[in-house]
Formats: sequence, structure tokens, C-alpha cells
Amino acid sequence: MAKVYDAGVKEYRETYWMPEYTPKDTDLLACFKITPQEGVPREEVAAAVAAESSTGTWTTVWTDLLTDLDYYKGRAYAIEDVPGDDTCFYAFVAYPIDLFEEGSVVNVLTSLVGNVFGFKALRALRLEDIRFPVAYVMTCNGPPQGIQVERDIMNKYGRPMLGCTIKPKLGLSAKNYGRACYEGLRGGLDFTKDDENVNSQPFMRWRHRFDFVMEAIQKAEAETGERKGHYLNVTAPTSDEMMKRAEYAKEIGAPIIMHDYLTGGLSANTQLAQWCQDNGMLLHIHRAMHAVLDRNPHHGIHFRVLTKVLRLSGGDHLHSGTVVGKLEGDRDATLGWIDIMRDSYIKEDRSRGIFFDQDWGSMPGVIPVASGGIHVWHMPALVSIFGDDSVLQFGGGTLGHPWGNAAGAAANRVAVEACVEARNQGRELEKEGKDILTAAARHSPELGAAMDTWKEIKFEFDTVDKIDVAHK
Amino acid sequence: MARPDKYVGIDNDVNGGMTTIGKIIRDAWVFDLIDETETCEGWNFAGVDALLDKVNKEWDKYGCLVSHLPHELFERHQKFHGEAMEKARASGWSGEVETEDEK
Repeated sequence: MAKVYDAGVKEYRETYWMPEYTPKDTDLLACFKITPQEGVPREEVAAAVAAESSTGTWTTVWTDLLTDLDYYKGRAYAIEDVPGDDTCFYAFVAYPIDLFEEGSVVNVLTSLVGNVFGFKALRALRLEDIRFPVAYVMTCNGPPQGIQVERDIMNKYGRPMLGCTIKPKLGLSAKNYGRACYEGLRGGLDFTKDDENVNSQPFMRWRHRFDFVMEAIQKAEAETGERKGHYLNVTAPTSDEMMKRAEYAKEIGAPIIMHDYLTGGLSANTQLAQWCQDNGMLLHIHRAMHAVLDRNPHHGIHFRVLTKVLRLSGGDHLHSGTVVGKLEGDRDATLGWIDIMRDSYIKEDRSRGIFFDQDWGSMPGVIPVASGGIHVWHMPALVSIFGDDSVLQFGGGTLGHPWGNAAGAAANRVAVEACVEARNQGRELEKEGKDILTAAARHSPELGAAMDTWKEIKFEFDTVDKIDVAHK
Repeated sequence: MARPDKYVGIDNDVNGGMTTIGKIIRDAWVFDLIDETETCEGWNFAGVDALLDKVNKEWDKYGCLVSHLPHELFERHQKFHGEAMEKARASGWSGEVETEDEK
């Protein structure tokens, strides 16, 4: 019998709850943590999320009859308890790949975290994870260069790279800013970095900053014989202006530029990443604004999703958290999204908060950047946790050295090389860290002074967003 | 709060003198650019900036690194900066001050 138009409202679960459905390899899969309004059945609210993030609207409309709803609809196919929290549950939704424009994480997010987050049947909603099918991954541009090409461009092998954000973050003149960069690079850093909110303010316009920083890079390279870089932040009010700044950075010979991918926007980021790939430039990504989205354990978007989105949109570095510093970061969860950044295939691992296998195909990896609240005493743990394919970024832990910027940089360089050497000899870094650093400091007064400066610091803050624990 | 137009002097500076300007003055003592009794109290900031330029030129001779200083300068550096560290700690400064606003 032919379909008959029915203006009445029917329950979502009649159409969108399909526990018998087996997801296809080409489906995009999502895991939502749903906190429903009281009295709404789990299956109904899970189906509502599937509907509202795909083909559904609040009622049946006559144009439904013109689409192949059975093909295009999202399907809620499973529900699970959240360990340790009875107020919410996990819902798993499968979306057919044809719902999304190729190569557009913008389109994926507009669907999955669009209007559905304001849906009345929900008290809160969090997108915990997405499985991007490899068929979709291959339509995205991804990181401009990737880890191995970056090592070749920068000529750095066999150790984590070292960086430093220049402080004070706002108010320095371009000349003094360039000098701080030079001292850090001359002392032994591989990179210095613009702060995320250094764009082109009246006290230091972008072109002036780029010129002085490039002079610093060239001077440091000439004196050390090493390749050096500075993340020139090209984030701008418009994407045209952003591209103008990127073009100038390339023109003066900078190897790497930087973008704030969340505040700058994913369209701009994807455009910039594609340009970087075409022009042999590295792209450092800052995650300013992420905590607005990912910190609430019940609402928003988990950082592992933002990590996957960045890898698809494009970036060679991404700030990852530090685990051992004073900033937010559960160790297991952080290790989970570090794998998501770097590995080509990641298995489902609930102990790290990874809900799906993720195959990245041939897409290059992203280097995690550990930044904020760390200093030389953290070096053994950082080398152990992050391994070689990482950037360890010490801001106050470099510029706060009582002897100055170059001394802080030298202290960190000696410390990282000592830790890598010890690791390569089979020593346990986190257990023997003090002995390793103390021995290295005998030949480096800069490291000795750094150890003396920071030895009394302990970080004992608890994290707000943790992996969901065993069900109570 | 209006920005002061004169430097308070390293003896009166915050964090026991463990500040950017304090470091410039100590390095100027090390390189004998100013007398070691000079605290720079009452200097305007153009004067401090000019001193920084001279200090930078001295550091450039040694690759900006303490470990590259010749023995006599190294000893002077250890003396001035060692004393400053003790004084700063006594005034309540610690390394944590340097990393507490990071993200």
C-alpha cells in the first residue's frame, strides 16, 4: 500500500531505534552521553538524538515521502550504562556516509552537534566519540606535512622537540619579542611560539612581529647550526587576512605558522591546512576555547572528538595537555587522544575512553604538544609519557629561569637529552629521574639553577573530567 | 592603575628583585656596565631599555649562556645571581610564580 501522509506526531523510536542494526564499514558512528529529562525512556531519547542529528524533525512532514528515509536516517543501535553514573547513558548512533559532504568536518559537526544539543527531551548531551569510516577519512586533506616530514624539514630526530611560548603574552614590542625568541632558540629550543591571543594588536602588528622573529630565527640558526622555528600566529579576523599573513610568513622563509582552530573556525583551518600542504609549510594548532566545549563531563564535545576533527581538518601540531603539569588532564584519557593524534590505527579501548576502532588509512599523524605549567623536573615523566614524536613546551619553565631565557632553554635542552640518553640505555625515567637530572646538571650550571628554582613545586590538582569509572 | 614612570630600584622591586628588570641589572653588574652599588632607583624606562641593549650586546659575545662565560665573569655571575636567589626566596618568591598563569 502506498504511503499516506500523516500529520500526527509519532514516537522517534518507531523510526530511529534499531537495536538489530549492524553498522556498516562505511557508516559514521557516534557515541553520545545522554542525560534525559525525567520520565523519557532511554530508547526514545536515543532515537530522538539519532533523528535530530540526521533526517528527523519534530513532526512528520510531507516531504519525508520524497526521500529514502530508510537509507538516509541515523540509527540508534545500542545503549549502554555509563560506569559510575546513573543519571546518564551512552547511545550509539550510525549515520550513512552520504549524509555528509566529502572532506568537510564542518558539515559533520553541524549535523552531529547542531540543533540536537538544544533538544527539550535532553537535560544534557555530550558527544563522546566518533568513528570516521576510512572511506570518509580519505576525502579529507588532513595534516599538511605529518610527523616524519616535519622531522625532515626541521632536521630533528630521536628526541622530543622543545618549544616555549613567549611571555609576557601581551604588551611586548616586536623588537623585544624577537629578542626573547632569539635567546630561547639560541639556548637550545627548537621552537618558540606566539601566544594564542597574539594576532595583530596595536602594540605589535603582525608584519612587524614576523620580521623581528624571522631575524631571531636566522641569527639563532647561524650561531647554532640547527634548524629553528617560531609558530607565527596567522589567526585573523577574516580568512583573506589569515591567508595574507600566511603568504608573508612563507615569503620571509618561516618554516611553520600557527592557527587557533576553534576560535578561528574549521573552514578557515581547513583552507589554511590545504595551503600549507601545497606550500611546504608546517602548521601548529592551538586549541583555545576547547574547555568551553569539552570540560563538562555531561555536556559538550569530548576532546578526543575535537582531536579527530583537527586531524581531518589539518594541523601538524595540536596542544594535548600535559598529564603531569598543573593543568587539566587525566592520564589515561590523554594517552587515548595522543594515540588518536599519532597512530594510523587505534583499537577501541574503554580504559582510555576510546569507544571505536579508528582507521586513519594513509593520513599522516599530528604531533602532540605538551604545554603549560611544566618545568625541568617534569622532563623524565614527559619523555616517558609522550615519547619522541612530541613537542614539550616550557613557557614559564624557560622564561622564568632566574638567569634568563637562554639559560632556561639550555636547562631544558640538557634535561631532555639526558632523559633520552638514559631511556635509550634502558633506564626507567620516572623512577630514576632525579639521578638522571642531577648527573646532567654537573655539566650544566643552567640546569642546576633550574632544578634549584623549581625543586619544591608539587602539583596535586584533581581533574574535573575523568574517564568514567566502574559502575557503582 | 597608572604605570609608574620611574623604576623603584632593584632593592625595592617585587619578588625580591626576581623580575625582568632585576635580571637586567644583575647582568649589568656582572658585565661591569654599572657599578654594583647602582640599584637603578629613579631611572626612567628608556634608561633601563638602553641598559638592556648593552647587556644583550655583552651576552651575544658568549652565546647568551652562562656556561660559555669566561671564568672571571662566571664567578661574578654566580655571586650576584646566587645572592639574588637567596634574597628572593627570603622574600617569598618561588619558581611557581613563573608558571602559575600558563595554559
